[in-house]
Amino acid sequence: MQNVWVLASLWVGLALIATLLAVWFKISTALTEIVVGTVAQLIISAFAVQGDLGAKSEWITFLAGTGAIVLTFLAGAELDPVIFRAKWKESTIVGLVGFVGPFLGCTAVAHYVLHWTTRSSWLAGVALSTTSVAVVYAVMLELGFNVTDFGKAILAACFVNDLGTVIALGLIFSPFTIRTVIFIVVSVALFVVLPFLTPRFFRKYGGRVSELEAKYLLFILFAMGGLAVWSGSEAVLPAYVIGMVLAGTVGKDHILIRRLRTLTFGLLTPFYFIRAGAFVSVPALAAAPLVFVALFFGKMVSKVIGLFPTVKAFKYEREEGLYFTLMMSTGLTFGTISALFGLNHGIIDQAQYSHLVATVIGSAVIPTMIANAWFLPRHLLHKSGEEKPVSQAVTLSAERGTP
Amino acid sequence: MSGRRHNTHFQRMLVAYDGSSQSEKAVELAFSLAECIDSTVLVFAVARPPEPATSVELGAVLDDAREHYEEGFKKIREKARAHNLEVKTDIAVGHPGEQIIHRAELEGIDLIILGRRGRSMISRMMLGSASERVLRYAHCPVMVVH
Repeated sequence: MQNVWVLASLWVGLALIATLLAVWFKISTALTEIVVGTVAQLIISAFAVQGDLGAKSEWITFLAGTGAIVLTFLAGAELDPVIFRAKWKESTIVGLVGFVGPFLGCTAVAHYVLHWTTRSSWLAGVALSTTSVAVVYAVMLELGFNVTDFGKAILAACFVNDLGTVIALGLIFSPFTIRTVIFIVVSVALFVVLPFLTPRFFRKYGGRVSELEAKYLLFILFAMGGLAVWSGSEAVLPAYVIGMVLAGTVGKDHILIRRLRTLTFGLLTPFYFIRAGAFVSVPALAAAPLVFVALFFGKMVSKVIGLFPTVKAFKYEREEGLYFTLMMSTGLTFGTISALFGLNHGIIDQAQYSHLVATVIGSAVIPTMIANAWFLPRHLLHKSGEEKPVSQAVTLSAERGTP
Repeated sequence: MSGRRHNTHFQRMLVAYDGSSQSEKAVELAFSLAECIDSTVLVFAVARPPEPATSVELGAVLDDAREHYEEGFKKIREKARAHNLEVKTDIAVGHPGEQIIHRAELEGIDLIILGRRGRSMISRMMLGSASERVLRYAHCPVMVVH
């Protein structure tokens, strides 16, 4: 498709459909965008002789890449540095185990069970090593654990887990050269300087209609992304750490974060997630469904083996709900970023990419589906494990105003 | 408090509020009941995170929900003042059915009032009906307003 505006309208139209589906079914927009991208690509491949969604167009790649970078930055900026400083010991150990368990476990499953190449297997390990901070946080809010020491430590651990994923993605697949050294030195210097420089710069020049803050942040993110790619690494690595180091300053600027969210959700992430979905091959998934099963259970088992004794060692054994969520949930953002990185760099092929994305989605969706299908309010489950008797019910028509 | 009867059955009522016309009706009904029988009312809203939650979207959804409900609560509090009623408002996060049941137990609620949303069959299968779940598991009488 040569006409840029026709192609843009097609993609934004798909984003609109995905958003409507998310609204109707109360599911995350990221998930519906991936699925809509997959289905749209499938339909176009089936009915158009030479057509595709244009997912490899330069401008779509740029928008999608920017979406991944800004999304990763915002995810990092949600860290609460005060909590992290208070709970750094437990969080670091639980987070590292949460990362290392599935990283090694899924790598082993991919290599020894599925017979993927060594690099493909490492990539599978990275993509499935994440833990969704958001899923864990949502469960904590529901259970009221977000204000407890246990909840805060677990949440900080999720950030450490994802940091492990991002560092592994950024360093494992890049050759260690002088460029890597330059990238690391510049990154560390910037991570030290930014928390001091940024708030002062914003205080002096910020708060104007010209959105200086957004331009400043995009400049830093693009520049560091460029340096990362130049050194053979991945642009989201510095973006996540920049988000984390600015969490205590920029992360607390509610208005700025809301503006960045608008930019991200309105324009950037639809391109990122629809593009991620467009590369998923449904025929490849249908041809080898057991690959999904092997990766899914590989992730679950390795998470449980790693985290169960660790969480128990910190005497958190009573809060089962939370650490089961921690064990099972996979972050859609980091999971798909890792898989897409592998596809773009020829580390995995399209079939392997499709299985990884399906596993990432599966491990995010299946626990939720199970919870909804066998629904019983959690606090009642803790009490008796039995369904309570049906309450007395009165149905009343407001129009008539009588029972 | 002339014209109000003291009752021993429905001293504390919880009204589920989501900003819909049905929930507005439920609030109105709770107010008229509270006026008659001298009860306190908790107007309770639940922000439901998208499933599976993704980090930036979750924050955005919760912020929007809080703003949306606080706007509705302002009007409700004004109305309550005009009727000289004791009204509390609160927002929780999670599955609406579960949060309503849990809060009702915690607060020792005697009557839950909620509006019935006209969801489609698919939507009900995917999400489950909050009113059905509350009817099924609540510890106290439940009034569903059509």
